[in-house]
Amino acid sequence: MPDTLSPMARMATIGLRDAREALRDGFVLVAIAALTLAALVSFVTGAIALNGDAATYAQAKALLLKLGKDVSVIAAPELYPLKLLRGTVEQIEIMGAVIALVAGYRAAAAERGSQALALILTRPLHHWQYLAAKLAGGAGLAAVLLAVVFTVTGMLLPWVSGVALSAGDALRLVIAWGAGVLYLAGIYAMGFGLSLWARSPAAGLITAFALWLMVVLVAPQIGDTMDPDNQVAGGIYAQLSVPKAEQDRIKAGFALYETIRGGIEQASVTKHYERLTFAVLGIKDSYTGKPLGPILTEKRGDLLFLLFFTLGIGGVVLLRPINPDRLTKET
Amino acid sequence: MIDASHDIPAIALRGLSLRYGRHVALHPLTLDVPKAEVFGFLGHNGAGKTTTIRLLTTLLAPTHGAARVAGYDITTQAMQVRANIGYLPENVRLYDRFSTRENLTFFARLSGVQDARRRVDEVLERLGIADLSNRRVGSFSKGMRQRVGLAQAILHDPQVLFLDEPTSGLDPVGVRHLRQMIDQLRAEGMTIFMNTHLLSEVASSCSSIGVLAHGRLVFHDKVSAIAGYDERRLEELYVSVVRQEDAV
Repeated sequence: MPDTLSPMARMATIGLRDAREALRDGFVLVAIAALTLAALVSFVTGAIALNGDAATYAQAKALLLKLGKDVSVIAAPELYPLKLLRGTVEQIEIMGAVIALVAGYRAAAAERGSQALALILTRPLHHWQYLAAKLAGGAGLAAVLLAVVFTVTGMLLPWVSGVALSAGDALRLVIAWGAGVLYLAGIYAMGFGLSLWARSPAAGLITAFALWLMVVLVAPQIGDTMDPDNQVAGGIYAQLSVPKAEQDRIKAGFALYETIRGGIEQASVTKHYERLTFAVLGIKDSYTGKPLGPILTEKRGDLLFLLFFTLGIGGVVLLRPINPDRLTKET
Repeated sequence: MIDASHDIPAIALRGLSLRYGRHVALHPLTLDVPKAEVFGFLGHNGAGKTTTIRLLTTLLAPTHGAARVAGYDITTQAMQVRANIGYLPENVRLYDRFSTRENLTFFARLSGVQDARRRVDEVLERLGIADLSNRRVGSFSKGMRQRVGLAQAILHDPQVLFLDEPTSGLDPVGVRHLRQMIDQLRAEGMTIFMNTHLLSEVASSCSSIGVLAHGRLVFHDKVSAIAGYDERRLEELYVSVVRQEDAV
């Protein structure tokens, strides 16, 4: 029978099958619902606090007006609705990453366990085409997952905060969504690759978890602990009343130590994702209300780290040949 | 006009071997399987039968030697080999959450079959599993899965079909059905390379056999050349050649 299918069509066939399977996978559906719910809970908690601030301000303003005093003596609370997404971003960092790791594992384990991998690899397609289709499927899953989360929270934001979203806010949400897709796609690729390469997919998943914990939680904590300024509440320099110039002079004497400490702290992809997203959404106070252009310029290092992390892991998965001894779940 | 291509074996192995470091998984193997034949590859567990199939289906790369399947070199023309083979691994399960039809349509599209829907209907009818078409594969018995597995292997009408222990775990009805199917496919000109350790399967379906022991081919002949080639005679032959190899 003549073979008329192009390589792209073959990859699309694999990607579409994955998408159809994901829609029937209870784990994926529960994961989407759980992440959306967790994001909403964090978001509603933030909204309640914001409404509390607004109500307190309104009461104080009314009282001052009643007393015939100047209302400018009290500052109006800042009403930046995107700041309410702090919890949502934090849920994506941890819960989203765990979902991505497990989804990557499931994508590899399902095909190894069912012998479907052997059947696919005896079809006329290159290994890299299969791998690229699987990675694209993972990125697509992350895109859908985060689209659900950001759409639901984005629709509720004006209603909960009482402040309408501008076109600029919508653009910031799209950038945060894109950064999230990059972050989760990289972690999915790690879970998928290790589950495909390991002797058993479960061992691959455990290794992926260990690596993720190391990079995301342990390394930044080590870096943080190594900072002497963090060892005393309020900061050691502040407690000892060391002037800024003197602080810099002392730190210069520990340049190598500071470089190592900074490197360990910077190793966390989650930190880079957080720094970029917190800045773009104005969650971090120093970026609140700032225009997008300068923020993106300042945070391009975080964006590049995220990009290289995802492309790097995806590239390794793509280039590493599939070991024929890993075609089944048992080997 | 004489069809010269008919003389070219469907499967030709020339010193094909595989090593994992010091361990020799398959000693140099030279073998021809003519077109439209059913070749039975016998051997105990771990003898190297599945390794041979994985080499011939391009899942593994040989360390030495060469082989051609359907006229194409397994190392340099892997894509052409894959386009012309069907493969049914042992214990195939396919995608549990998908129906028979969805599984088959996926593999038909992946094989580049035009009008996959129509072809899937044909194969479902042919294998007598049309009534299973909309049921999820996850709920199937081993025998039903094996039939769906065979269906995916012949969807694209391959020249050569590789079956790895196809009757393992099947009930007598399933075994009988599979044998009938093998006979039909051979009659239509398909070459079948079948791994098995069941002598009854060889006696009933195969036209030639090879016996593999510890990664070496220790016997190869037409089944009809073995005097009184019933299951018992084959068993005697098998035991004697394997014992000789064990003694070596």
